[in-house]
Parts: sequence; structure tokens; C-alpha cells
Amino acid sequence: MLVKIAWKNVWRSRSRSLVVIGSIIVGVWALLFGSGFMNGFLVSYMANIINHDISNIQIHNPKFKQDFDVRYFIANGKAKAAAVRQWPGVRGATTRTIVSGMISSPKKAAGVQIRGVDLKNEALVTRLDSMVAEGTYFTGIKRNPIIIGSRMAENLGVKLRSKVVLTFNDGHGNITAGAFRIVGIVESSSVAISETYAFVRQQDLTKLVALGDIVHEIAILTQPQTDEAAIITRYRQTYNHDLVESWRELAPELAVMNEMYGNMLYVLMGIILTALVFGIVNTMLMAVLERFRELGMLMAVGMNKARVYLMIMIETVFLGVAGAPIGLLAGWLTIYYFRMHGVDLSNYSEGLEAFGYSALLYPYLDNQVYFIVTLGVVVTALVSALYPAWKAIKLKPVEALHKL
Amino acid sequence: MSVIKANNIHKTYTETAVPVHALNGVTLSVEEGEFTAIVGPSGCGKTTLLNILGGLDTPTEGTVEVANTDITGMNDNQLINFRLQNIGFVFQAYNLIPVLTNKENVEFIMLLQKWPRQEREQRAMELLAQMGIADKANQRPSELSGGQQQRVAVARALASKPKFILADEPTANLDSKSTANLLDMMAQLNKEEQATFVFSTHDQRVIDKARRVITLEDGKIVADITR
Ligand SMILES: Nc1ncnc2c1ncn2[C@@H]1O[C@H](COP(=O)(O)OP(=O)(O)OP(=O)(O)O)[C@@H](O)[C@H]1O
Ligand SMILES: [Mg+2]
Repeated sequence: MLVKIAWKNVWRSRSRSLVVIGSIIVGVWALLFGSGFMNGFLVSYMANIINHDISNIQIHNPKFKQDFDVRYFIANGKAKAAAVRQWPGVRGATTRTIVSGMISSPKKAAGVQIRGVDLKNEALVTRLDSMVAEGTYFTGIKRNPIIIGSRMAENLGVKLRSKVVLTFNDGHGNITAGAFRIVGIVESSSVAISETYAFVRQQDLTKLVALGDIVHEIAILTQPQTDEAAIITRYRQTYNHDLVESWRELAPELAVMNEMYGNMLYVLMGIILTALVFGIVNTMLMAVLERFRELGMLMAVGMNKARVYLMIMIETVFLGVAGAPIGLLAGWLTIYYFRMHGVDLSNYSEGLEAFGYSALLYPYLDNQVYFIVTLGVVVTALVSALYPAWKAIKLKPVEALHKL
Repeated sequence: MSVIKANNIHKTYTETAVPVHALNGVTLSVEEGEFTAIVGPSGCGKTTLLNILGGLDTPTEGTVEVANTDITGMNDNQLINFRLQNIGFVFQAYNLIPVLTNKENVEFIMLLQKWPRQEREQRAMELLAQMGIADKANQRPSELSGGQQQRVAVARALASKPKFILADEPTANLDSKSTANLLDMMAQLNKEEQATFVFSTHDQRVIDKARRVITLEDGKIVADITR
């Protein structure tokens, strides 16, 4: 009965209640859309880096990363990669022979990380082939083809089919050089790919390094929703001397961003819900003051304070929560729509792409966020109910009834 | 048996600029089954007295016993509970819960007392029928006339069989026909249900229906006549 009275009381001032409910709908919607948008940025940024550059897991010789010395290769790297490829949860694994050196054109020279790649598996793991904007993915040039990034091409002043020379220390400490011809130019929002990497065929590079068929890096891409930790553990148990790192360790800034996004969600939620608290409290105070005599009568005839308190609480929660499902649905639908179609940011993306964002944004929210927001609204309603309910039980029936 | 025993009650309002002595030593007792009017000029202390007898207000001095229980020392929540179990109230206005139907309003006290649903509904319908408004059971109070609303209020006050019913000027807002009507029904319930009524009024026609008339003046009883 208390619940029934409370529910009906919500609708006594229909338009007033609708204003509050409407603002809750808009608040919840804005909250979901805002965080979906932010999260979309983050997810696409992270996906970009993981899927096109660093992958989920990388394996190196523990000493390799200290100074990128070619002699610190992974023992039996190719065989290990071939084995890992068969593991459940692994979408692809590719090997790279990596050498630091110089790249020079007739006009200019620059530092470069030369990556000798396994053409087929590299395409599977980083989709390098899809990033080729000009030229081809290592076809059409027979001897020493090379792919470089668009920025590097600009810096060096070279075009497709231009000749460049790579210079570096081979496996025996001697300076060696090779002439390569540009077969493709890749376009990427990643600074590393477009400015500092040069891709060559693995066998062309190992021939120059002269240490045999060696690899320095194994990059593993996992299936979506796969627990990386399980694969890492399995690798460590199978081959115990290598350094195994997940993207969290490879790009700690991504992990930080991930955490920052979580905090942003709470900050945004805090701001919006605080605004809603004021709206709800204000409305409920009006409702209580308006009904002073009626509340006095209820207490006079025997409704105790706990029941009066509960009644006002329930009413406030109804008021606060009534709009939430609609807001949640609206937020979910908006996010769903834009997830399917993407938000086109190309008008603003000039600047964004430089930071590694892509021009089409796909908002996305974890299901758990809907739950957190719902919980937030319920808590907001409960908090908003405290003061009006307290106000209601403070009144004295005689005085309340007296005010005719 | 006495349902109310008030002993030497004083009430002084001190929140005002000059203290107001609203009651100056009122002693009275009300027996089961009485139909009693408290009368007197405006400001003589009728409302103050009824509020104190009903445990809505506390006396500055003196004691009130209801059904042999001293209520003067009780705290707010004890008083609310005591009122719920023992006393029925009818006010001049704002008696009913507007969002409930008339039947639900009559059921309200029984509901707070946790009566089983069936008994509650049966009792409510029985009383509404006695008050001649059974056909209005499922309407809202706002759809009734003032007199009909007061009949719902009387039905609610009576439903849970309290020790007595206090009514402060229950007819003040009613026209003379509704007034007579309501009084007749109260008198009838007084007989049929042995319900004890104490009501205040300054309407002579209401006074005429009372069997005992207590007259207040300046916060004192100046006459107490049983007919
Ligand atoms: N809350 C209060 N504060 C101060 N004085 C009060 C208060 N309530 C009543 N009084 C005063 O106490 C006296 C008695 O008031 P009370 O309301 O009991 O009279 P009454 O007989 O019911 O009058 P009426 O017939 O007009 O209803 C009056 O002088 C009134 O002004
Ligand atoms: Mg009065």
C-alpha cells in the first residue's frame, strides 16, 4: 500500500514530475553517449596500435631490447612461432629480423629500424599489406624490394621505385650496406610505422646480417576475447629463456589511458548525477511542503515516522528511477546506431590522426557500464530522498494540521 | 469504565510574545459509549483540549489517562502507535488521502494495524454501506461532496474499533443538511457499535444532538450537563 501511495503521489504533479524524469532521461543518455564516445576513441586507438603495430604479445631475447644488438636473436625463433601458431586463442604469429641502421637516399639520410618480415604471416598479424597506400606488397620488384612509411618517404624525398641504401652492422660487427628499391609506401596513423620503420623481406635481410636464418621478434595476435595471460603462461612454460611481454608492458601508456578512461567515466557520472540530485531534492521538497497537512494527518491517525520516511523515500526513488530505463535504452540505441555506422570525424581528423586516432569513430560501452550507471542513478535517488524524507518526519502533526 | 481521565490539565503557549493560557485546570472523565460535545466561544480552548486528550499535544501540567494508560510521558513514536491502536480522529478538513479510493481510505488504519485483507475489505464495505456511500467505494475523495468526505473520515476513524473517536469541529465546513446527516449517522454508530464520540462544535444544532455537553470558557469547564 505504501508503494502504491508513493507511486500515485509521483503523478500528483504530473508536469513537475515529468520535468524531473525528463532530465534524468537526458542525463543518463548523455552519460552513456559521452562515455561511449570516449571509450570508442580509446578502443579504436588501442585496437589500432595492437592490431597494426605492437600486437598482443611480443617475444624477444632478454638481452635484445637493451641495445638492439643483432646477435641477441631468439633461439629457434621460427620453429617456436610455427608451434605457437597452432595454439588455441592465437590468431597469428609472425617473426621479424630487426636491425637498426641508416637509410639514405641521394638527397638525405635518416635513422631507421629495418624489419625483415615473413610476408604471409606479417600480413596476418599486422595487416601490413592493407596499409600499402601506393605501390604493392612486395610484388613487382624482384631484387631487394622495400616498403617505407609515407612520412619517411617525404623526409627522404623518394618515390615509388626510387633506390635507397640501408647501412648497418652485420652479425660479425662489420659495417654492411645493401641497395633496395621502393615497392610500396604505407600510410598509417602510427608514428612508428610512417616515420621510423622500413620493411624488407626476411631472407633479404638475413643474408646481409650473415648469422643464418635468425629472428629477433615474434609477434602474436590473439583471437578477440582471449586471455593473453594464458598464452603468455603457456609460452613461458614451454620455452623458458625468452622475454615475453603483453601490450600492457610494451606500451604502458595504453594501460594508463585505459585506467584514465575509467576515472573519466566516474567524473562525468559524478557531475551529471550531482546535477540530478539537486533537481530531485528540489522537487521532493516541494512535494513534501505542499503536502504538509496531509502528512500531519497521516501521523495524527497513526502512521509512524518510519513509515512516513519510507513512503517519501519510495516516492523519491520512483521519481529518480522512472526515467532511467528510457535513458538507458536511448543511450544504448544511440551507441548501437553509431557503432554500426561510425561517427565521421574526417572534418576534424587531420589533427587526430597524428595522434593515432582513425577518422571513423565507433562508440562502444561495456555492459558493465550500463550496470554501473543504473546503480549510480539508484544511489542518487536514495541520497536525494534523505533530506525531503527527514523534513517530512520532523513536522509536528498539531502544527501541520493547524495551518489552515 | 472511563476511557479518558484528564486530571487538572493546564496548557500554556509560550512561543507567543505574551504567554497564552489556553487551558487552566481542566479535569474530566469520559465513559465508554458517550456522545459528548465540547462547546464554547472561539478561543476558549476546545481544539487545545481535544489535541491533548488525543495525544497530539502534551499538557504543560496535569495528566491524561486513556484506557487506564498514562500517555503524558510518551515520546513521539510511542504516541503515534498509541493513537493508531486506541483513538480515531476526524478533523475539520484534510482527512483523506487523495490518491486512494474511498474504500482504501477507510481501510487505511486497519492496514497500518495489519488486519488481514479480507476482513479489512469486508469491514470497510460494511461501514461505507452504513454511511450510505457504498456506491462511492471505488471513487476518489475529490469526487465526493464535503459531507460525503466527512462520512468517509468517520468510517475510517471507526473501522478499527478504537476506544473513542475525537472530532474537532467535524461539521464546520458543511452546510446544514450535511451537518444534520453526519450527526445522525454518528449518533446511529454510537448506538449500534457502542462507539464513544467526543467532538467540539459551536453549532447549536450539533449541540442539540449531543447527550452530554461540556462548556469551556477561558480554558476552564464552566458547565457539564448530561441529558
Ligand atoms: N500554537 C499556538 N500558539 C499560541 N497560541 C495558541 C496556539 N494554539 C492555540 N492558541 C491560543 O490558545 C487559545 C485556545 O485556542 P483553541 O484553538 O484551543 O481554541 P478553540 O476553542 O478551538 O477556538 P475555535 O473555536 O476558534 O477553534 C486561543 O487563545 C489561541 O489563540
Ligand atoms: Mg478549534
